[in-house]
This record gives sequence, structure tokens and C-alpha cells, in this order.
Amino acid sequence: MSGSGAHVENGIWMRAVMMGGIILTIGVLLFATLGVAIANGKHDTWKQLEDDYHHEEELLAAKGNLTDADVKHLDHMHHEEIDAHLSYLTYRVAGITILLMSITYASFIGIGGFLNASKPEGDHGDGHDDHDEHEHHGSSSPIIFSFGILLFLMGLPDFIVACKALLNSEVSADLGMLGLSSIGLVTIMIAVSNWWFEDLPFNGHGEQIATSWPFEGEHIRKAGLWVFIMSEIMVFATFFSSYLRMRTEWCTDWAIRDGVEACKDVPEGTVVTASDLLRYDVSTLMPGAINTFALIISSYTIVLALKTAKDAHWEPSTGFMGKLMPTRKAAVRNYLIATLALGSLFIVLKLVEWSHLVAEGFDVGTVQGSIFYIATGAHGLHVFIGLLVMLYLVFKADTVGYDEDNAQGIEYFGLYWHFVDLAWVVIFPAFYLY
Amino acid sequence: MGEHVEFMGKDIYFWNFIVLMFFTLFEVGAVFFEVIPGTDIEITKMSVWLILIVVGIIKGYGIAAFFMHLRDDPRIYTRTALFPVLFVLLMLWGIGLSNPAGVTDLPSWCTPNWDYAETR
Repeated sequence: MSGSGAHVENGIWMRAVMMGGIILTIGVLLFATLGVAIANGKHDTWKQLEDDYHHEEELLAAKGNLTDADVKHLDHMHHEEIDAHLSYLTYRVAGITILLMSITYASFIGIGGFLNASKPEGDHGDGHDDHDEHEHHGSSSPIIFSFGILLFLMGLPDFIVACKALLNSEVSADLGMLGLSSIGLVTIMIAVSNWWFEDLPFNGHGEQIATSWPFEGEHIRKAGLWVFIMSEIMVFATFFSSYLRMRTEWCTDWAIRDGVEACKDVPEGTVVTASDLLRYDVSTLMPGAINTFALIISSYTIVLALKTAKDAHWEPSTGFMGKLMPTRKAAVRNYLIATLALGSLFIVLKLVEWSHLVAEGFDVGTVQGSIFYIATGAHGLHVFIGLLVMLYLVFKADTVGYDEDNAQGIEYFGLYWHFVDLAWVVIFPAFYLY
Repeated sequence: MGEHVEFMGKDIYFWNFIVLMFFTLFEVGAVFFEVIPGTDIEITKMSVWLILIVVGIIKGYGIAAFFMHLRDDPRIYTRTALFPVLFVLLMLWGIGLSNPAGVTDLPSWCTPNWDYAETR
């Protein structure tokens, strides 16, 4: 972190531990409601309909000579059974996703907070006294963080095998590589918590300024973030171009019905894309469409958080919004919480939608499935990483607070978040609608 | 920043948000309906393509120009954001060349006395 900062008691970090506890409690309650209570009811309904369907199928098979009405009736029962299965999957997957996300959120903010709260008072992490308001100094946290990621990724394949081994005794794991990955995770956690520790007292004074072309006079952090976004555009362009390369040659049902010459001898149903399964029905298109709106609304709420933080003359509005956001500090925090909630909704609906697609036989085993899950999965991962960063923003907004001097944190994170929205603007029509 | 520009008492961010929401509804509707509601006019594959691309450009501009402040920030940020577009275009060009249809379907003015697709 650059610049100098206000004095912040280390004890304030215990609020992060408390925040982790609150998130975990909400997650467990939602899991118990959606993933257990409602999902179990849906499971019973599904099993009942499945039994009824098989029973009817056997009866009609014994009867022989099926009429059109019989086939229609059986088809109707089959669709009811499939709908009940998907409904069960919706609640079960949503519940489990919320539980896993809340555990990750709570661990991330809780452990980070605990590590910082345990530091001796007066330690500011960067070994620098805050006497000179304008003196610049760097941070070692980013390089330690990068090293942690390197270790974690080196052991990642075995980390995944080890996770499977925990669930299945027939799978054996390479404990050496698991250890390497775990050391990587611990290093990441230490680096992140130290990064937070350095940033929390930052009051906006002493932001490092670039002194050479092409970003001369600009904030170094902002320029760095744009260069990072530039590299991210390339990553998503790779997914998109490989998808287009294949998509333009696939004889989908749409292409066949549209009379594409190269597809005239190809029977319908030969190539099935995710959009074939999603775009023709409101219920299947709904998760993707809601996610699109959720991301756009979350982009707006983070803009509102930044605008409120920068507005020195902010006044609470009257009525319900005034009660919800009585002070500028509370308003910034609540807008960030809204962004966090909308981003979390995106992840939950994404996994619900994936579970539906897998249940319908659209998995990673095909080229169409592979490119779909990799592109949308990479985007989902970016959303999830953004949410982890946002946890800290919520914590800072709740404790030290953001104002017109130190709102850069929200602004720079907002750039990343808007980029994630921008990537979805391309992914959604390409993979869901086209 | 854009909050200083107001229209009907609301800042530019609000109107940008409304425009993004409207065009998202529009693109979902364009794909979902097979004919224009209330008419017998079919929505063809080509028109869906066109709608998706135009709406994508409008939404992308709205997010980048207003939410990401590229419209008000120094031009160096816009240039930084657009720099990878060069590589993206190169990639798409490469796709065009590697796709058989991309070669055989090129217009004649683009392939004078050239029978690459037949002879390779």
C-alpha cells in the first residue's frame, strides 16, 4: 500500500471475525432452509412422480397397442417428472452453493481478521512510521501473494485429487503436492491479510503518481489496474475466438432449419449447444437472464457506493431509504453489501443452471460443453474472486469508512467489477442466446 | 465525473443503468420470440445476429464510457483498453483464414485469380 494513514487500533480487526461469523450463520440458515428442508420436500415429490411414471409405463407396456392419448399421457407424466427433478436440483444446489460460499467468505474474512487482530499494537505491517504525509513506500504483500498463487497452482491437480480422496477411499492422493498447495493457500492468506492491514488506515494521502510516459501524472494503481484489465480482455478474447471458430462450423438445429447449405444432410439434434437447451423456454433462460440483470444492477450499486463516498455534501433521503442509509458511511457500506449479495446471487444461479444442463446430459464431455463450461466458468471465477475482495471493502466501509479522500479503493475495484460485467455482455449473447 | 451531468433530475449513471436494463430485455426478447409479437413477421437468424451485435456494442459502450469513466478520464486509459482489440482482430482474422467457409465464401474482389480453397 502506498501513502500514509490514520491510526487504527488492531482490535478493530475482531469485527472482521464477527463479520465472518454473521456470514456463516446466514449461510447455514439458508442452507438448512433451501438445501435441506425445501429440497427434501422437492426430492420426495420428484421420487413420487418418478415412481408414478414408471408404474404407468409398465401398465401401458403390459396393455400393448398404445393409443395417441396413452403416449401423450405418458409424455406428460415424463415432463412432470423432469420438471420435479430440476426443481429439486435448484433448491439442493442453491443450498449447497450458499453453504460453501459462506464457509469460504467466513474463512477468508475471519482468518484475515484474526491474523491482523493478533498483531502487536503499533505494528503497521510495512515497517514505516507515519510521520511524513507525502512519503511513498511500497508493499511486499503483492509479491508474497503471487508466490502463494504459484505454490497453490503447482499443487492444484493433486489438491483436487486429495479433495476427492476425502470423499472416496478408493482414490489416493499425493500428499507431497497437497502439502505444497496448502502452503500456497496459507501464503496467499497471510499476504492478503497483510495487504488489508496496510490498506485499512490509508486515508488517501500520498497516492503514488506515475512520473514517466505514458501514464505520467496518473495514479500508479489505476494505471496498473488498466494494464491488468488489458490482459484480462486477452484471456476472454481467447475463449471467445475459439468458441466462434467452432460455432461457425457446427450444424446446430438453428443452422439446419435456417437452410445453411453445408448442413443440408445433417439430421437435427446432431450438435446441441447450451443455447439450444436454454433459449427456447422461459424457465431455462431465466437463470442466465436474471444473472445478466444482477450484474448490471451490481455495477450500478457499486457506482452509487463510489458516488456516495465522494460526495462530501451527502444528505440522507427521506422515507425508507433514509432509514436504510441514515449516514454516508452506512450508505456506502450498504451499497457494497448490495453489490456483494447480487454477485453471490450470480454464482448461485450459475451453479443451479449448470446442474440443470448436466442433468439434461450437457456435460464437459463434448466440445460444445467444454468451451461453454470453461468460458462461463472462468467468468464465474472472476466474479467469485471479486466477491472475496469485496468482503474487505465492506469491512473497511463498516469500520474506517470511505470518503472523498480515500474512495480510490472502491473506484479501482469498481473498474474490475465493471469489466466482469462487460465480459458477461459478450458471453451472455454468444453462449446463451446465439 | 458523470454525476455532474443531469437529465430530468437524475445523473448520467442512472440513465446509463436504465439503458442497459432496457437493451438486455430487448436482446432476450429478440431471441425468445420467433415472430415479432402481434405480427406474423418472422425474426430470422440473421436479424437476431444483428440485434445481438448492435445491442452488445451499445451495452459495452455504456459500461466502458460511463461506469468505467473512460469518457471523462485521460485518453491514455481508452488507448490501454483498446490496445488488445488489435490482437483480438488478429485472432478473428486468423479464424477467418482457418475456417474453410471463411476462405471459400470470400468475395471475388478479395481473391483475384486465387483458387486457394480448391488447391490446398
